[in-house]
Amino acid sequence: MQLLTTPKSRTPFYRNHLLRDAISQAIYDAMASDDSVHMFGEGASVKAHYDAPQIERDFGSRVHTLPISEDGNTNFCVGASLVGVKPIVDVISSDFMYRAMDSIANTAAKLGALREQQSTIVIRAEFLTGGPTTGQHPEALFAAIPGLRVAVPSTPRDAYGLMRTALETPGVSLIFEDRMIDDEGPWAETDLRLGEPVPFGVIRCRQQAMHGHVAILTYGIMRQRVERILKSQPWVQDPHDENNLRADLYDLRSIYPIEWKGINLALRRAARLLIVEPDIVYGGVGAEIAAQAHDMRPGVQVKRLGAPRAVIPASPELHRHLLPSDEEVISAITKWD
Amino acid sequence: MPSRNGTEAAAVNERMYLVRVLEDRLQALCLDGLAGDLHFSKGQEAIPVGVCSMLRPSDYVVTHHRTIAHAIAKGVPLKPLVAEILGKATGINGGAAGEMHMSYPATRFMFSFQLVGTCVPVAAGLAWAVQYHLRTDDIVVVFHGDAATANGQWHEGVNLAAVNKCPLLLVCENNHLAGNVGPEHYQPVPHVADRAAGYGVSASTVDGNDIAAVQAAAAHAIAHVRERREPYLLECETTRLGRHKQGMGDLRTKEDIERLALRDPLRRVSLAPERRRELEAEIDQALEAALKAPPPEMPTRLDSPLRQKGD
Repeated sequence: MQLLTTPKSRTPFYRNHLLRDAISQAIYDAMASDDSVHMFGEGASVKAHYDAPQIERDFGSRVHTLPISEDGNTNFCVGASLVGVKPIVDVISSDFMYRAMDSIANTAAKLGALREQQSTIVIRAEFLTGGPTTGQHPEALFAAIPGLRVAVPSTPRDAYGLMRTALETPGVSLIFEDRMIDDEGPWAETDLRLGEPVPFGVIRCRQQAMHGHVAILTYGIMRQRVERILKSQPWVQDPHDENNLRADLYDLRSIYPIEWKGINLALRRAARLLIVEPDIVYGGVGAEIAAQAHDMRPGVQVKRLGAPRAVIPASPELHRHLLPSDEEVISAITKWD
Repeated sequence: MPSRNGTEAAAVNERMYLVRVLEDRLQALCLDGLAGDLHFSKGQEAIPVGVCSMLRPSDYVVTHHRTIAHAIAKGVPLKPLVAEILGKATGINGGAAGEMHMSYPATRFMFSFQLVGTCVPVAAGLAWAVQYHLRTDDIVVVFHGDAATANGQWHEGVNLAAVNKCPLLLVCENNHLAGNVGPEHYQPVPHVADRAAGYGVSASTVDGNDIAAVQAAAAHAIAHVRERREPYLLECETTRLGRHKQGMGDLRTKEDIERLALRDPLRRVSLAPERRRELEAEIDQALEAALKAPPPEMPTRLDSPLRQKGD
């Protein structure tokens, strides 16, 4: 399927071009089939103009620029949803999600449980490139709030499919995009067979070894990095290699709901579980998975890798210390007590 | 046979009386531990009853945490309303919402918001959708208190409504209280209506304890919003005669309350004793039915607040 929503320009400030285009395509397709789908956000019309001119051209009257008032904007969209509007609220950056925390956690998330008719609301934001308030990962906080679904797609196909599902399913869905997923490099996911909705709460097996000894659960940008690391290891390709540790790799895709059944199946193949998060490890999604993995399979060995509980420094030189290095990932896969 | 105006006046008087007696009965239940810490409108009844009496049935209402008077004013049926307030399965929201998160879309009583200020941007968005998605000439009324105008959500909401030309009537129930404290702590201008100028929104102030004055001012404000398709702020000066909520202290003296009670809107209400007894019997039946009703079952809806671990 060819993308209809070709951007007018590319910027070096983000690398996830195909993922962005896939989300625009999903919104375009949803708008074409359902006239209650509207886009709202700070500078929404400008974003459509540059990122998705076909949306501007065909559905410009359903793209609404709102002020820089994230909390009010989200409440405003909840109000519109009370009579059937399906809003896509663009909060712009993941850090701004904290500005909208009250309207997301106290208004949007609670309405569905209290009304007979559930609204369909999509809230989207990007992880930016890094700095104290430009690139934080609040997704685990939202995953802990009843009434919200949370997805962090790592491939254009998943981004397309999750956005389509979010717009077709009553309830509140949060979709995070990672600007730094490099989808045009040699390790990029280039499979652009769009058009299929992807359900929330279904993990995707990215790679299955002949003998699974370590199950790696990851999501977001770390899915791509771990996949790149694995593909560079000779023992992954060679079944006769002395190193008998073989890793299965799974992409969570959504961090709420999480497919526990799928994780249980993964743990039947592998008694060792490595969770690699693009988020701060402390209190993160990995902690929940580790606890539930122990309940499902007592005795399972679990390791977690992710970011330290640190304020993100502005200097790009320091960013590489935030997420696990290739060496740390390889060591975590191969060295178990 | 009473005149049409006479019939309408009787109807609003009856509704105010209904609210007053219902809340008094509920207060007794609170003291007996049979109801939670409810928020009552004692002394403020003329505002929701008066404003809603001038609306069309198809107009929408969004409100704050002091909801019982608003629900009755917008035609929510008494029995399931009382059951909801008491957290029963037979309530309008199955007992899941309680007094502060109620909704009854059948009479366009759309939602109530416990958190101060939230109702304003939500109502603005609803008004936006009525205007630009449903494309009807209905309007949205949002009730809020004076204390809400110190909250960012009030300002973001009024700004959004003004910029987007939303048919939204803001009705401020100005009881000069934020919980237990006075406006010297949260309001730097003499009147709430003064705040509207910052958003290019027309505003007026009325005695909110005079039902006829409220109706006249509401008629003017509603016509403004309906015809011009833009927001309007109607500030209603009023008196809260009860506590902020049951179970909470009140810093005001008995004399303070007695002085405020001289303005009690119910002092102007005269109803035939027979009619009073009928209304009281209706309330007692609703309360009796609600008290006997079963508690709600565990919600099974996706992502309900009581969802069990393990999904």
